Amino acid sequence: MVPIGKQLPHYAWQYGLKPSVIAGIFVLVALLWTFPLQHVIAYPFVFLFFGAIIGSAWFGGLVAGSIATVMSFLVVTFFFIPPLYSMSIAKESRSFVAAFVSCAIVITVVSSVRKRAEVAIRNARDELEDRVQERTAELQRSNLEILERERQLRLLTEAIPQQIWSASTAGCIEYCNRDLTKHIGKGADELQGEAFFRIFHSEDVALFRERWHSARVSGESFEVPARIRGANGTYRWFLVRGIPQRAADGEVMRWYGVHIDIEDQQRAQQRLLLAQEDLSRFTRMTSLAEMAASIAHELNQPLAALVTDASACRRWLSAEPANIAKASAAAERVIHDGTRASAVVSRVRSLFSKADHVREATDLNRLILDLARLLRDDAIRRGVSIELQLGENLPPLKVDPVQIQQVLLNLATNGMDAMAESSGERVLKISSGIEGAGTVKVDVQDRGRGFDENTKARLFEPFFTTKLEGTGMGLAICRSIIEAHDGRIWATQSEGGAVFHFVLRAEQ
Amino acid sequence: VKTTASRSDETVFIVDDDPDIRAGLSDLLDSAGLRTRCFPSAEEFFKSWNAAMPGCLVLDVRLPGMTGMELQSKLAEVGATIPVIIMTAHGDVPMVRKALKAGAVEFLEKPFQDEELLQAVDQAFSVDRARRHEDAILNAIQARIASLSDREREVMKLVTAGLLNKQIAAELNLSEITVKVYRRHVMDGMQAGSVAELVKMCERAGFPSGTDGRARYN
Repeated sequence: MVPIGKQLPHYAWQYGLKPSVIAGIFVLVALLWTFPLQHVIAYPFVFLFFGAIIGSAWFGGLVAGSIATVMSFLVVTFFFIPPLYSMSIAKESRSFVAAFVSCAIVITVVSSVRKRAEVAIRNARDELEDRVQERTAELQRSNLEILERERQLRLLTEAIPQQIWSASTAGCIEYCNRDLTKHIGKGADELQGEAFFRIFHSEDVALFRERWHSARVSGESFEVPARIRGANGTYRWFLVRGIPQRAADGEVMRWYGVHIDIEDQQRAQQRLLLAQEDLSRFTRMTSLAEMAASIAHELNQPLAALVTDASACRRWLSAEPANIAKASAAAERVIHDGTRASAVVSRVRSLFSKADHVREATDLNRLILDLARLLRDDAIRRGVSIELQLGENLPPLKVDPVQIQQVLLNLATNGMDAMAESSGERVLKISSGIEGAGTVKVDVQDRGRGFDENTKARLFEPFFTTKLEGTGMGLAICRSIIEAHDGRIWATQSEGGAVFHFVLRAEQ
Repeated sequence: VKTTASRSDETVFIVDDDPDIRAGLSDLLDSAGLRTRCFPSAEEFFKSWNAAMPGCLVLDVRLPGMTGMELQSKLAEVGATIPVIIMTAHGDVPMVRKALKAGAVEFLEKPFQDEELLQAVDQAFSVDRARRHEDAILNAIQARIASLSDREREVMKLVTAGLLNKQIAAELNLSEITVKVYRRHVMDGMQAGSVAELVKMCERAGFPSGTDGRARYN
């Protein structure tokens, strides 16, 4: 707030002195010009005073205009209205003076109003201009800020030791950070279209392509481990993570990809996996060997007794004289030993065909679908597409679902193994359907090499294998499971490869 | 078929947890005229065993509780010399090697032929007999040494070292005549026909000879 002491002289100047000075100067100028002009132009010449009034009102406002009007009236009355040099007005001049004054007042008002309007417009324009300038400056500032922030972000993406890219919703690579460019030896412009997929290992590209595509369809972020080829041609394992950037309305605008180096992790994991595999194979083999040893011992005992008893029997018979009673007792023990050996054999058999398994009503198609989901990643990795052809309205089966799942898994894995070296299309087809009344049939068909007649005869024998590292137990176990379920399993050769079939009866 | 000459107290001790095996072995050995005693566990055999029992042991390696190998080492600990025939159910090579190292005379893989067993038993018996014979001789010699007087043992020590009567007399501060008398007593007491025989006996019994062991026999 402006203090009163300062305000007062300001008002005095604004509304007293300044208008008076302006009016005085204008009127004086008009007066000085009128004196010589009155000799040229006839009878009281007052138009210059109108000019003075207009000028005063224009430059000094309403107050200056009013003062100029008053001063003009006085000067004109004194100098130019007869009687001259007196303030009295002759009778015949009164109407003239009245018109003069009226005109002066009108001019003052009009001029000052016009002036004010003009000033108001100018002020408004100035204000507008100021504001525009302000806005422009503000915009420039925020623009600079944005640029700075973007620069910082870019610096950040360049600085962090992680590979980053961004892509349009169509999957077109728009940006690669320095780390990625450095690792793969290519920039964003060299990763357009198919070129982007070529940075992945041929075994991983299918899985990545599938995930990337379905992520773009669903708009969900994704993660997929894949090997990426470096500029030097070697592959490293990365976790490729794709994250969508969404607009306010939730629409995906852009995709960001981050490659996290998991080579060491993956290696450690692989080592662990190998160790685990070794261990499980070892334990399986040792437990198998142990089991075989204990069975052998179990069986060997009565056989040893039998041989001993038979020898004793022969000795009693060949003695002089033959001891028939002793020989007969020994022969009796031979029979006992033989029976005992046979009991061991049937005990071993019953050990492997436990009859009291869980049996529950199971939807075979659900088992097949579960299996397909279970094998999905593995199949993609191995370039195998799984084709399902599931029959409708299958009756529920009373089976041990875990065991039947095991059979399906065994057959499917066998099928995929059989196609491992196939150069043609790798398709594993699993179909189910009703086969006669109350019987369900499943076919697992591969497009591998199939098998010859000799192999076919031995396929389900235990310890028979055509694989380098097979145990030869897979199909034997499949058969024992299916037979324990009163089903049947067999294999045929199709033009494309091998087909394994099994049938199970639906029990009511 | 060769039958082993049976001696009244020689016995085949059978240790096997399987009653059928025990019965079969027992009967087979019986048909060869051999005496048998059966034990279902190593513990039971060890409990009733004593050094005076002549014969041999037919031992299964796989036993509940104390194993055949453990029984073997336990017998060795107490100084038992009974010959052991090891039976294995299947060719467990390291176990067999260990058993043989521990002094088993033979091992048989089940099932085995009667001839193999009888031959092994025959061999084990002769080992046992030889050992017992050896022991008997040794015991006799030691008994004879024990029957000598201290002075006689001193003389014997010097005699077996090859000293002449004169030298012995000088050594022991005795007259040559007295030494001669002692010498006669030693030869009689030890039932030795010659000095050479006496030396052999002393070597067998580990009796020292020479002039430096005097203090020990005082």
